[in-house]
Amino acid sequence: MPYPSIQARFEIATVDEFFKVMFVIICFYYFLIQSEMEIEDGVQRWLVNTSNWDPSPHQFSIAMSVIPQQQHSSITRFVKIEDRKRALVSRLLQYALVHQLIGIPFHEIAINRTAQGKPYLEKHQNVKFPNFNFNVSHHGDYVAIASEPICLVGLDIVSCFIPGKETVSDFIRNFSSYFSRLEWEKIVNAGSDEDVLDVFFRYWCLKEAFVKALGTGVGYKLDHVEFHHKDWTNIYVKVDGDVLNDWSFWLSELQGRHRIAVARGHPRIATENFKKTLKQSHFDNDFYKLGFHLPNPVFVMRTVEELCSLFPHMELNA
Amino acid sequence: MAAVPVTCVRLTTSMHTTQIVGRTSTMKLVPMGRVKSGFPSLRTSRFQISCSAKPETLNKVCEVVKTQLALASDSVVEPDTKFAALGADSLDTVEIVMTLEEEFGISVEEENSQNITTVQEAADLIEKLVEKKNASEPA
Repeated sequence: MPYPSIQARFEIATVDEFFKVMFVIICFYYFLIQSEMEIEDGVQRWLVNTSNWDPSPHQFSIAMSVIPQQQHSSITRFVKIEDRKRALVSRLLQYALVHQLIGIPFHEIAINRTAQGKPYLEKHQNVKFPNFNFNVSHHGDYVAIASEPICLVGLDIVSCFIPGKETVSDFIRNFSSYFSRLEWEKIVNAGSDEDVLDVFFRYWCLKEAFVKALGTGVGYKLDHVEFHHKDWTNIYVKVDGDVLNDWSFWLSELQGRHRIAVARGHPRIATENFKKTLKQSHFDNDFYKLGFHLPNPVFVMRTVEELCSLFPHMELNA
Repeated sequence: MAAVPVTCVRLTTSMHTTQIVGRTSTMKLVPMGRVKSGFPSLRTSRFQISCSAKPETLNKVCEVVKTQLALASDSVVEPDTKFAALGADSLDTVEIVMTLEEEFGISVEEENSQNITTVQEAADLIEKLVEKKNASEPA
């Protein structure tokens, strides 16, 4: 035999068997690498600057036409045009991402909302990711979407504004019951008004991303939720004094004084009616670690025109 | 069913052409009493107009909402329009509740504040809390 050690290890009697075993080993690693790569593909971060999009009423209705008819009222219910734009782009992002990533034909994509208003993809045979879920956010100039293949994801964008009709300390005092004592101290002692607002919006953005991941509204005893960080990296959260080791957070800045926060974590503390929409809310530890340690990529800028080009038969510039 | 007089000017815009249709209706048929689902945050549940909140309360709430959401003072805010539809984000919703607490001298529990999604809901809760406050005050 040309390779005695392998023969001994695998008890190979013939050259034939040797090649069969090598073939199986190679196939195994190929699929392992493939599936790892594919798993990573489930992590998506897309961003649209809606302030750059100025559609005519005609172009707006063309863009709206790719969204299922029964969802139109959820866009048109908004009184201000800027809110309608953001609502439409949010939906375009959802349908475009699901179609491009998972390959479900547009007319088969069913996106619904839980009782608390969290959108989710109805189960479909094409969904190969173990626990695909996504979250959207919009505020100010931006609309964004984030998806994950295994862990829960939550997303929040906040446009950091300067309160117009009240002082900074009066403004933030409205929200004091949503912060823990430690967080509150860090906010009020941050320094100048500008610093106070900066810290305030950072904590608010993180909290929102967290509750949105869980599927609850703002009111989830947020003073019991405390964020810790090292210069706004290595961000982790304590709930009722206990560190949640299976949750990660990232906070970054977008041009024009916007902050964007991503929360990734274990579904076990999500609301019951959101858990029901997931494929799994219980995991093998090693499997969960795989999802938990996937990269967190930067947000990719997309334009509305690019998104629309993914939809069939749409001539946006007609 | 009871007929409750409601005057309102309704503005409707279609997506293809901007048509402003002004209509003044003087009578609106609404069911008496409230039908409220057990899930306060259920977006699709219909909250029917009850006749419990006074017009002054409704107007005051409208003013607070319009100021907070930077709507023109002559804009009409319907009692059952969701704040979210008017452009309120999570920060706005908190501020609206806080301002209403100050204006009416009441305290809204956190679980109740989630139920305040329209002018009507706010007004109804306010009147309930004011009534409770007045009843519990020492004679």
